Amino acid sequence: MTFFNEMAMLFTRYNSFFYEGVRNTLIISAFSVLLGIVFGTLMAMLRMSKILPLRLLATAYIEFIRGTPLMVQLMFIFYGLPMVGIQFPNIPFIPDFSRFAAGIVAMSMNSCAYVAEIIRSGIQAVDSGQMEAARSIGYSHSQAMRYVVLPQAVRNILPALGNEFVIVIKESSIVSVIGIADLMFRTKDVIAVTYRTLPSLAIAAVIYFCMTFLGGQLISWMERRMSHGKG
Amino acid sequence: MAKDEFLQVVDLHKRFHKLEVLKGISTGFRRNEVVSIIGPSGGGKSTFLRCLNLLEVPNSGQIIFDGVDICDKKQDINLHRQKMGMVFQQFNLFNNANVLHNLIDAPMRIKKLPRETAEEMALRLLGEVGLADRVDAYPHQLSGGQKQRIAIVRALMMEPEVMLFDEPTSALDPEMIGEVLDVMKRLAEDGMTMIVVTHEMRFAREVSDRTIFLDDGHIEEDKPSHEFFDHPESPRLVSFLDKVL
Ligand SMILES: Nc1ncnc2c1ncn2[C@@H]1O[C@H](COP(=O)(O)OP(=O)(O)OP(=O)(O)O)[C@@H](O)[C@H]1O
Ligand SMILES: [Mg+2]
Repeated sequence: MTFFNEMAMLFTRYNSFFYEGVRNTLIISAFSVLLGIVFGTLMAMLRMSKILPLRLLATAYIEFIRGTPLMVQLMFIFYGLPMVGIQFPNIPFIPDFSRFAAGIVAMSMNSCAYVAEIIRSGIQAVDSGQMEAARSIGYSHSQAMRYVVLPQAVRNILPALGNEFVIVIKESSIVSVIGIADLMFRTKDVIAVTYRTLPSLAIAAVIYFCMTFLGGQLISWMERRMSHGKG
Repeated sequence: MAKDEFLQVVDLHKRFHKLEVLKGISTGFRRNEVVSIIGPSGGGKSTFLRCLNLLEVPNSGQIIFDGVDICDKKQDINLHRQKMGMVFQQFNLFNNANVLHNLIDAPMRIKKLPRETAEEMALRLLGEVGLADRVDAYPHQLSGGQKQRIAIVRALMMEPEVMLFDEPTSALDPEMIGEVLDVMKRLAEDGMTMIVVTHEMRFAREVSDRTIFLDDGHIEEDKPSHEFFDHPESPRLVSFLDKVL
């Protein structure tokens, strides 16, 4: 039997494993990116705040998160928080909620730091002359931000956010270590049952690639739409 | 200090960290006056101009505009800036908006002008600078000379009492300098009060009423343009003019 036949056979027989894995991977990634964007925006505002302590706090958070492995952060949330008495509750009807919660919290705390940097650099990439010109004709700082700088920054930020989503999909494979049944976790299940390590991993790789590739296509389609008719 | 000066600058100082850029500048500007500011690179011309509308905040001194010291923290600077148009070397048109939007957004948003009034005014002014047909264009579709003429119109849309120009032709290809200078010359003839930092000696000499030589953070010389160019006194101005003329 060739390698590809073996992959096809494994996939047909265990497709429910892979589907569930994909579903959970997408759930984790989508929530992480969404929360990451919400809190990352706030974090970017703190990071650019006029108030020094807030700025320092945000900088410290961002640097710390970006300077430590996601794996360590995940373990800290999952094992560490319960030890200091913070427990994610288990919720009826949603199996494994506490694990999911820990995974999503860790992933979004991580994504938050990267998103904050994406937003900050997107704003700072807008030529400072734009802000000055707006101020010089009487816009307040916040009006200039809202009507002149941010619309231009968004065009730097959105593609990078899309890229962040792609990265999160890949990085999310790490949550399998705390027992979340994502694609990686279910792939390991299939390996444990069949002892077919390489073909199973190859299936996972193909699926991950499809998700990130389609995600990337979606993003560049959005980019093209946005640059339409504008400079 | 003359009474009819609507804009007065008193002992203005500006430092960037340890670097003292403006070392006590005092002068005044009358309505309808056109003043050129010339001087060597790094002498503080841009900094001085940017202090006038507080794009740079002076370390000390006063800027008295229409009778109030705008350096006073209690003053609403946004209000004063509406009355001072500024034109930059790099044009700084809003890149996310077309020409019309560049022109009407501030009048509508800040001065609450009705859209029809703002559009009418925009089209009239665009016509005057010969760009009525570019009303839908985006900045990246325009030449440098066109951008600068539109930047001038954008400032005029707020009906300012004075226009500040910071080397408006320095970023332009030579063949486009004329079209911008023409617009400025017509503005001057129409009685607009203008303060112009420039390297265009002909403009300073022929269009402006008065020329200021700003060197090393000081006003070295400040007098009517024909005298300024025909009888320069300060040795530094003499050697500067020798180099540039
Ligand atoms: N934001 C800033 N931070 C630090 N130094 C500055 C800043 N802006 C200007 N300077 C310095 O202040 C000095 C005066 O600069 P300024 O731009 O006012 O000169 P200028 O007369 O306009 O020169 P140019 O003819 O080259 O435009 C220069 O040494 C410049 O490096
Ligand atoms: Mg300058």
